[in-house]
Amino acid sequence: MGLESLYPDYDVLALQDEWDANTRQIVKQRLGPFEFKLLSHWQQGMIKALARQLACEGRDEVLTWIAFHVETELGKPQGEAQRKPGIPPRKELILAGLDALDNWAKAKFFKGFLSLKEAQQLEFLQLLEVGGLPQEEGWDVERQKELFKKLAGLVITAHYSHPWVWSEIGYGGPAYPRGYVRVELGLVDPWEPKQAEWS
Amino acid sequence: MAEKVSVQHNCDHYDRERHPHLRKRKYGGQEVDAVIVGLGAAGGVLLYELAKAGLSVVGIEAGPFWDPQTDFASDELHAQSLAWNDTRLSTGQNALQFGANNSGRGVGGGTVHFTGVFYRFHESDFRVRTLDGAAEDWPITYADLAPYYAKIEEEIKVSGPREFPWGAFHGPYPYPERSPISGNAEIFRRGCAALGIRSTVAPLAILSAPFDGRPPCINRGFCNQGCLPNAKFSTLIHHVPKAIGLGAEVLTDCMVTRILVDKGGRVTGVEFNHDGQFYAQKAKVVIVSAFAVETPRLLLNSACSQFPEGLANSSGLVGKYLMPHSGHDVYARFDQEIRLYKGTPVLAVSQDFYETDLSRGFIRGYSLHAHGARPVGMAVKAATNAGIWGKKLREIMLHWNFYARITLVGEVLPEATNCVTLSEEKDEYGLPRAQVHFAYGENDQKLIAHGIQKCQEILAAAGGRDAFVVPDSAHLMGGCRMGKDPSTSVVNEFCRSHDIPNLYICDASVFVTSGAANPTETVMALAARTADQIIAQGKR
Repeated sequence: MGLESLYPDYDVLALQDEWDANTRQIVKQRLGPFEFKLLSHWQQGMIKALARQLACEGRDEVLTWIAFHVETELGKPQGEAQRKPGIPPRKELILAGLDALDNWAKAKFFKGFLSLKEAQQLEFLQLLEVGGLPQEEGWDVERQKELFKKLAGLVITAHYSHPWVWSEIGYGGPAYPRGYVRVELGLVDPWEPKQAEWS
Repeated sequence: MAEKVSVQHNCDHYDRERHPHLRKRKYGGQEVDAVIVGLGAAGGVLLYELAKAGLSVVGIEAGPFWDPQTDFASDELHAQSLAWNDTRLSTGQNALQFGANNSGRGVGGGTVHFTGVFYRFHESDFRVRTLDGAAEDWPITYADLAPYYAKIEEEIKVSGPREFPWGAFHGPYPYPERSPISGNAEIFRRGCAALGIRSTVAPLAILSAPFDGRPPCINRGFCNQGCLPNAKFSTLIHHVPKAIGLGAEVLTDCMVTRILVDKGGRVTGVEFNHDGQFYAQKAKVVIVSAFAVETPRLLLNSACSQFPEGLANSSGLVGKYLMPHSGHDVYARFDQEIRLYKGTPVLAVSQDFYETDLSRGFIRGYSLHAHGARPVGMAVKAATNAGIWGKKLREIMLHWNFYARITLVGEVLPEATNCVTLSEEKDEYGLPRAQVHFAYGENDQKLIAHGIQKCQEILAAAGGRDAFVVPDSAHLMGGCRMGKDPSTSVVNEFCRSHDIPNLYICDASVFVTSGAANPTETVMALAARTADQIIAQGKR
């Protein structure tokens, strides 16, 4: 399966002078540097390890942004839109979930989650998605599934908000005030991503 | 980390006055003719119409008064701030997702981040009990709303096709249809044509030519993230500023926590919270336009000794019969680039499957939309709603420019068990959070299966392959339905509560059935009709 970009020559950040100032500032903050206040070093490591599997992403810079996004969201006073009754609030659920994953790893492989092989970490996430991990200390099927959903939602949101990922997938990105002149099937504006000749 | 973008929001707006505090109120100590709770699609129209008629009116909005130029960005993550993100407890077999999925916060409400698809309901939508033997009939017919549909379309210059083939209204629309259409819309129309399915360019509350100092659409594609050029209509940029010009006062960042009731059982105004302080606004008429979850929640949270079960709730139906639309997305991969990010998201539609056809094995129907997407929206829903993540998601997203998408807007039949109630859990104001229960019924499930099949056929007919489905829902309706009988409905045909003569409930919560069309135009038409009634009552 092709996991290479079809647009290797495209850099969405090279277009930033065409963006409105507000958008430019918001997007550039995702390149760091990041100052973590809430998540411990270990918790950051856990989020990054999980994001590596969930998003299939290997670059430390992008993974660090994802961890920072999770920290930002968990620190917000606003709500989480929806939560199932009996499930702890998102921050509590995720932070407790990181500990639970580590404990499950220790119980099964006698080492912490971060010391597992990537294939083992992936397997843990596959089980978590369907609630297939040991049901102890309140981690019933429903709570495991919710942990997976909340984690995946935060991680994938951050991943596809990173401009390097936009470049890779050939996303035009912010388009104000310029907009698009050629939207018809098969037409592109001169600045839009185009597939490399050889692909 | 770089300095955070910070925007100063004023909270009191009237007569060219804007203040970051509530110490210079226009109507502070007075009893006004009307107070409106929530300034979304309905509240915006009501504020404007009542102010235009010379009534003293105050609109109170929980969220900010957005300035598109400084508060909106061309960014999906940033746009999450436009949604109502307060936690709702969500239960049931098909527990609903809230936030950006269906509700807005701030002036404009959902119109700030809606796609702009602007449909009238069909005649049959108001008579489902009579025609299909299910649900209930509305206390009004299409003919009652038709003049208000026309009024709203004209007022905001809806763009649409010369000939709209379905329902009672066939055009023309005030402004010409949008042209050109996007690659995704073109693929949809080709697939439909190959199968003999009729399709048209979408009727949209998005300008196709200049109007009122606003430019036509530039096809930026960020309708769901807030329109920066102001080409897309919202009550934030249309009705509310005009209402302020006509004398209305608008309070923002003010959460209404209770409707006040006197000993005689009439409402006297509302209590609201700004920055931790409680205030009151007295009014002759209270209009609740806070959408399908917060409206029932406020009525239930306003229970008092006169109305221990909540206001307007003698029928016990406040919060009941909540309906979303089924909103499943079907994606398929093509050999050529489609580029889902370009252009207005919904530019082509079909309502060929809107009306009941019993040979399909279910009643009612659905609309189909060629629906653009952006990376976060597509990838997150694939991961959380369809179990597509990791390597598989990465592979799809690296080829995402080759995907087309069709979205279902499926009618959901009302069930009393699908409802908004109060939970044990409290929010920051000490008020019980809403708990929302939802499960699709058998008819809904059959309709969804048919719709998904049809989407797959259309995409395949256009050359698509490797289709995948992402279950989703959209919009919310019901919870305070209208009706003639006070024992089986909450409000009358003019959105006035049966129980309390000076309490109106006017938003999507009064819908009796969901239809299979995006609800915003019907919400606005109902609001315009209700405004006429309130004005006529005031003159008497």
